[in-house]
Amino acid sequence: MELSITQENFARALSAVGRVASNKAGLPILNNILLRTDGNRLLVAATNLEIATTQYIGAKIVKPGAITVPARLISEFVSSLPKDTIELKVVNDNIHLKCGNYTSIINGVIADDFPELPTINEESSISYTINVEDFKQAVSQTIITASSDSTRPVLTGVYWHSHEGQLFLAATDGYRLSERRLVETKSDVSAIIPTQTLQEVLRTIADTSETVDILFDETQVRFRINEAEIISRLVDGNFPDYRQLIPASSETSAVVNKQEFVRVTKIAGLFARESGGSVTMTVDPDKKTVSLHSIASEMGENTSELTAEVQGGGQVTLNSRYLSEALSVIDDDTIAFSFSGKLSPCILKSVKKDTNYYHVIMPLKS
Amino acid sequence: MSALWQSVLGEIELSVTHATYTTWYKNTQLVSQSDEEVVISVPNIFAKKQFEVKFNDIIKKALENNGVTPERITYTVNVSGKKTRVNRETTLQATDGSQVLEAPADFRSSPSSRPSSPLTARGNLNPRYTFDNFIVGSSNDLAYAASQGVASNPGTKYNPLYFYGGVGLGKTHLMQAVGNEIIKKNPDARVVYVSSETFVNEFLDYIRFKKKGFSDKYRNIDVLIVDDMQFIANKEKTQEEFFHTFNFLHQNNKQIIMSSDKPPRSIPTLTERLRSRLEMGMTIDVQMPDFETRCAILRAKSEMSGVQLNNETVEYLATNIKTNIRELEGALNQLLAYAELHNIEPDISTAEGLLGNVRHSRPQHLTSKQIIDRTAKHFQLPVDEICSQKRDKHVVVPRQIAMYLLRSELHLSFPKIAGELGRKDHTTAIHSVEKIEKAIKLDFVIREQVAAIREKLYA
Repeated sequence: MELSITQENFARALSAVGRVASNKAGLPILNNILLRTDGNRLLVAATNLEIATTQYIGAKIVKPGAITVPARLISEFVSSLPKDTIELKVVNDNIHLKCGNYTSIINGVIADDFPELPTINEESSISYTINVEDFKQAVSQTIITASSDSTRPVLTGVYWHSHEGQLFLAATDGYRLSERRLVETKSDVSAIIPTQTLQEVLRTIADTSETVDILFDETQVRFRINEAEIISRLVDGNFPDYRQLIPASSETSAVVNKQEFVRVTKIAGLFARESGGSVTMTVDPDKKTVSLHSIASEMGENTSELTAEVQGGGQVTLNSRYLSEALSVIDDDTIAFSFSGKLSPCILKSVKKDTNYYHVIMPLKS
Repeated sequence: MSALWQSVLGEIELSVTHATYTTWYKNTQLVSQSDEEVVISVPNIFAKKQFEVKFNDIIKKALENNGVTPERITYTVNVSGKKTRVNRETTLQATDGSQVLEAPADFRSSPSSRPSSPLTARGNLNPRYTFDNFIVGSSNDLAYAASQGVASNPGTKYNPLYFYGGVGLGKTHLMQAVGNEIIKKNPDARVVYVSSETFVNEFLDYIRFKKKGFSDKYRNIDVLIVDDMQFIANKEKTQEEFFHTFNFLHQNNKQIIMSSDKPPRSIPTLTERLRSRLEMGMTIDVQMPDFETRCAILRAKSEMSGVQLNNETVEYLATNIKTNIRELEGALNQLLAYAELHNIEPDISTAEGLLGNVRHSRPQHLTSKQIIDRTAKHFQLPVDEICSQKRDKHVVVPRQIAMYLLRSELHLSFPKIAGELGRKDHTTAIHSVEKIEKAIKLDFVIREQVAAIREKLYA
């Protein structure tokens, strides 16, 4: 195998796939990155047997071939090099890298031992092409409410599913839930994509990307962004039927300015550290205000108020961190929230007419 | 069918590496078998591809060796009856919705422990310390029973109540629990919780700035809780003021609860009349919890965080951290945080990895020889010279430091210390230890040297 390649392209590809390389599965070769020529391109790939990421980069191929190299060493070496052309040559399983005055020989392992990268049959799969901005927003809006508790695996991912002709994303950790409507769909989909996979996709999206191609089959999903590809397993299991939990109507509702609401939440949170983030929200229909109250038993207490459009009065106790996180992902200057008493879920969303996102937080039992 | 597959796997296990076998072959199953087709289920998409491309020949051969020669072998990914893509809208099965969303576990504390009355009325009590979350074992059952007695009959049953014991054994927890319990029963009760240091500082302010209200503050209450009484030693005027406060409250049948690291008789500079008063009520020794209690504490704490630890891990932690509950909780928190951060199960191997340093930082068998050797090495002196009769300055100071360390680290008696360093007279040892004790406070160089040697001893 012999080829030349630009340092910029090579470094970018290595850093993108290098994160996935790990020895979690106990197979030493998974610490390595696969380099393989493919026509006039170089394939750079890594896998941890849950995700496989692949990057194709343009290269001048002199002699085709394949080899694997320790991920960490080659990534760090290549990223430290100046912007120049790198000449890569494999001699007896050793990779000779030359870039200007810098020469390295890295011991490789033959590519035969590297796991085959899974492929997906495009004919029998369902595909979507989604605008990068929509994708990024939708995933970041839902991923924050996914659980990290491995004892309930179905909650550790984002649930992509079709419902009444639309594709929805939903995630819950049992204490809060978020749902985002993404695009129209004619096919029926129901798949749980692991959180780590989506994080990896988000990281892979570059400024120049415009669309994300997503392909589902029964057990796997593939994302394609420009020349990069991420294939991942899906979480096995049924996502809970969360729709029945969302209350259709509510006793109390208020519309507030987001910026002000973010500020009072942050302030109330300062005094709620001791009590595990518990802040009490009171909606006063006479004064037309929403107030947040929190107590730190040894330090002091805080009450902040903001004016709002109010319907009905009531009180509910929430975790300030959940509230802050919800506010940070709702894309609007004004926010509507509603609840019915101390025990039923509190719903937050934008006031836009065709709002496609809502966030639900369970109150704290106080 | 399974017997055939077992024999195939057995054959393959011998011919591939262990890592390859556990990664790829371990969770495979034979689904169906006929003359035309053998179907094998594999755990994931990666394995499927791997089998199709790389292992097909091996499988075929192994099947052949077992007398099975199908026309083709297919591999399917093992899913628990679920199809990701569905064709009917109704396939999404309704699950028990009430289980899906719930109030966070962290906040399911009992209503009583939540701040209910305004801040000042609670007198600095931390609402988290209650009897409910105090774990009782043989080492602290007496203290627990006495506390409950006091909480139900404040001022009459055991007055004063005095706890003593090492750090992190639950003295503060018990005292605050009494205070919280009294407030719960009688929300108007005035409970004041202070550390003796706060008491001293307030008293100093009172003298310096002629502030008013000091005696009012401490005499106009129902329950006085003073933590860490040992800090009041040496402060004669404060002791006197405390003595008067004590007498006043006691005569009016107000409850007094105190804690310290030593029993009253062992606090050296406590005036006689105060000591006798501290001893007149109930004096209880809070001891280090035994193994079972430590396990119970770990279980309770981990459940509070919503995590179930297996027995092995709990026992590992309880065996390795014996001295202090605070340290025990610290180790547990460290383990849970690490597990959450890395999204792994908090099991024994994680605990071992994390707590290895905790355990090794506390050598069980520090000997006097190690201390002397270490000191000699630090000053680049031969050991015999330190133990010799020489009185050159460059030998004397290291010798004194060695004596000091023998006292502070091993608590050896003075005659023993003198003996270890080839001295007959124990007064030399007393003098040396006192000299270094003083020097540590004044002399930066000595302080650094002692710290450096100590660090190496425990490294």
